Amino acid sequence: MEITIDRDSRAPIYQQIARQVRDLITTGKLPAGFRLPPERRLALALGVSRSTVLIAYQELRADALIHSHVGRGTMVTPPGAAPVHPEVEQDLPWRQLFGAAVSGFQDPLVGDLLRLTERAGAIPLSFGMPAPELLPFAELRDLITGVLDDTGPAALLHSPTEGLTVLRATLAQMMAARGVGCTTDEVLVLSGSQQGLDLAARIFLDPGDAVVVEQPSFIGALQTFRGARARLIGVPTDEHGMRTDVLESVLSRFRPKLIYTLPTFQNPSGAVLPLERRQHLLALSRRYQVPVLEDDPYSELRYEGDPVPALRALDPAGNVLYLSTFSKLLFPGMRLGFLVAPRPVVRQFALARQTADLHSNTLGQWVLDRFMQGGHMSGHMRAVRQAYRRRRDTMDGALRRAAVPGLGWQRPQGGFYFWCRLPEGVRPAALLARAAESGVSYLPGRACFADEPPAEFIRLNFSYPDEEQIREGIARLAGAILRETGHPDTAKVQAASTRPVV
Amino acid sequence: MSARFARRLDGMKASEIRELLKITQRPEVISFAGGLPAPELFPIEDLKVVMAEVLEREGPRALQYSTTEGHPGLREAIARRLNSRLGLAVEAAGILVTSGSQQGLDLTGKVFLDDDDEVLCESPTYLGAINAFRAYRPRFVEVPTDDDGMIPAELERAVAGCRSPKLLYVVPNFQNPSGRTWSLERRHAVLDAAARHGLVVIEDDPYGQLCYEGTTPPALASLAGAVPVVYLGTFSKIFCPGMRIGWLAAPREIYEKYAIVKQGADLHTSTLAQHEILAYLERFDLDASIARICEVYRSRRDAMLRALESEFPSWVSWTRPRGGLFLWATLPEGVSAREALVRALERDVAFVPGGSFFPNGGHENTLRLNFSNMPEARISEGIARLGAVLRELRAARGGGAGSAQA
Repeated sequence: MEITIDRDSRAPIYQQIARQVRDLITTGKLPAGFRLPPERRLALALGVSRSTVLIAYQELRADALIHSHVGRGTMVTPPGAAPVHPEVEQDLPWRQLFGAAVSGFQDPLVGDLLRLTERAGAIPLSFGMPAPELLPFAELRDLITGVLDDTGPAALLHSPTEGLTVLRATLAQMMAARGVGCTTDEVLVLSGSQQGLDLAARIFLDPGDAVVVEQPSFIGALQTFRGARARLIGVPTDEHGMRTDVLESVLSRFRPKLIYTLPTFQNPSGAVLPLERRQHLLALSRRYQVPVLEDDPYSELRYEGDPVPALRALDPAGNVLYLSTFSKLLFPGMRLGFLVAPRPVVRQFALARQTADLHSNTLGQWVLDRFMQGGHMSGHMRAVRQAYRRRRDTMDGALRRAAVPGLGWQRPQGGFYFWCRLPEGVRPAALLARAAESGVSYLPGRACFADEPPAEFIRLNFSYPDEEQIREGIARLAGAILRETGHPDTAKVQAASTRPVV
Repeated sequence: MSARFARRLDGMKASEIRELLKITQRPEVISFAGGLPAPELFPIEDLKVVMAEVLEREGPRALQYSTTEGHPGLREAIARRLNSRLGLAVEAAGILVTSGSQQGLDLTGKVFLDDDDEVLCESPTYLGAINAFRAYRPRFVEVPTDDDGMIPAELERAVAGCRSPKLLYVVPNFQNPSGRTWSLERRHAVLDAAARHGLVVIEDDPYGQLCYEGTTPPALASLAGAVPVVYLGTFSKIFCPGMRIGWLAAPREIYEKYAIVKQGADLHTSTLAQHEILAYLERFDLDASIARICEVYRSRRDAMLRALESEFPSWVSWTRPRGGLFLWATLPEGVSAREALVRALERDVAFVPGGSFFPNGGHENTLRLNFSNMPEARISEGIARLGAVLRELRAARGGGAGSAQA
């Protein structure tokens, strides 16, 4: 049993131990029945206090991963044999006023990043937004100013919680083009996919329930699930997305309520889950009766290679709830997304939505429907794909030219992001400060992990900045990394050593 | 699939009433059920002007992401309105733009409520708030009200029976469903009690500006002193409901929690809708538009009150609201408003039985009547049919008093 302690890490040592043992168990490296070293001996071997190991073992016991018997020591618990622990002890300090849910929303990072847009001079590589100059403003302006002539007061009135019926029908048509057959009443309009995540959390999660997430995953989803006081169970990923070979052991041990995944051009990693893994994931979902929440904001933004079918398209059993949004394709300020799910689920979403905010802005729904029915979408998509492909290639080229030793990345086939592993020894907080000084922003990778990340990453966006900004932004960033790693100067470093992320 | 839903959904069902009322969308139905403003009063032509202007002036910015807290200019404009019209002293930084005031209620639940936390509310109280809070599984403690609002002695009694009450949720102006308005004296007394017991007050005020007689008393938020008051407002009743723009004003420590929770709920409210409302406020006179709305609603209220006088049996009592959209009728004990609804629907008249407005049930002999959404002739006709239904129902129950009045 190999465990390493990083004394510079922000994570407490007991968590580091617990996490590593957990990973060894869920990946099958420590088989059921494996006898763990006694606390005292492990403490001695790691050079930590006995109580540290004691707490680590307690955590593992609470997760039903190990159990102890007097005289026989501590052993790995076989999967499925675990007692169910619906109520997990959470050390929440009782506060007079606020509900405990509030403490799950501690990190308003997305909001802070949005606010950064207003800071002049900094090159933003941190966003997840489409390029404003590429959006079809003129078409939308004409539709918006004309819509009241057609609809009269209807576009200003309340509309159904599930969404305007015409728009739902149009979305069902669009899904057919994505290879998903669905009826109008299996579609529910949302105010952006963030709302879909929020409603899904309300509908499926009670405090202490487990949710499977990819490591890394979408930061907004992690915040929402934490806000619901769910337990986030991370499944490791590689360059092909979720390690479905690890998923089975996680499902059998944690009995999660939901598997949350972004299988196509994942945010933040850009990975695409291959067909075999998709099928494996769906088979596991059926076997363990766990619904899959498929988040798909990016699949239309493919710049090369063949499309892979959505999980929803491969799932006749109806285990997949499919979430998508127009925030990455059209103007995000319209706040329109949608859910495709079996009717009983749509019904529950609508009930929850009724108490949350009644319905989405009516006029915006009319406008989106007219935009799609008017055939504006396909031309717009062709144009943005072309532009984003060039921006992606520009960023790839800029990263190669910068040739920062030890910086690893993969060129994504679509989506919005490069996911870069930082060179060894880079301190994330210090780099963030240096980057801010240099006038470039990015998303720190730590925010995308349910717990301690295996390495330090950053997420770079190439859709929002133009090519000139990308070149300049990467140069600034490379300078910041080199200063942080103690290398003298960007320009003098030669010989690209781009290590792919594995 | 249903086995996998969260336990908290157990309390959340599509209500039987909502199912019944689906048929009110047929044009021949005279509906006193909705809470909708009258669409013929929307300033559509002004809005067309505003939309063209916004898109011209703002360009693509009008459709981009905006901050969770809301458009800074709109927050300014809302703060100015609250300060000048309602005597509040809030800064733009204390205003959060919400996706309708329903979202304000939902966020309130998320910010404050854990399982079994106690929420004090009027009896009856607003159905949308009951449903929003219920999702967080609190315990509702109803405080009896009379025509002057919440009764302070009853509030003391209710608090004494609580373990550790957190919130006091109230609609002090032209309440939904009762139409009642709190007196100034009651406002002070309830705030005193809130201060003594460390309660956070949620003041929901969608109707305050729809005043048809006298003036609306000062908002609790303007009288609160050190009592933390979260004030919820909306454009839905005075402008257009489909826009989904509301707001809340809260003390700083509370405000920050709301903003964080809103970010997780929907990131932010439609940018375009925020720009449109702001541009409308800048270019047109919302107060003049509200005055026009009030004219129409006042005559409709009067028409309903006249019809009730002449058509309802004397054993029914009702409130005489000075504003808002609703009045509230009480039938004799044992006469079921649900049964009345079933019979009324056969004659194409709809209303909402009052039982739904009591979180802990009971009060099946009450009903809510909306007077804003139908023209006067239809109001008289509908009330006449409803009066006949009530008499029949009482007669069928063997109550003799009804027939004598007919």
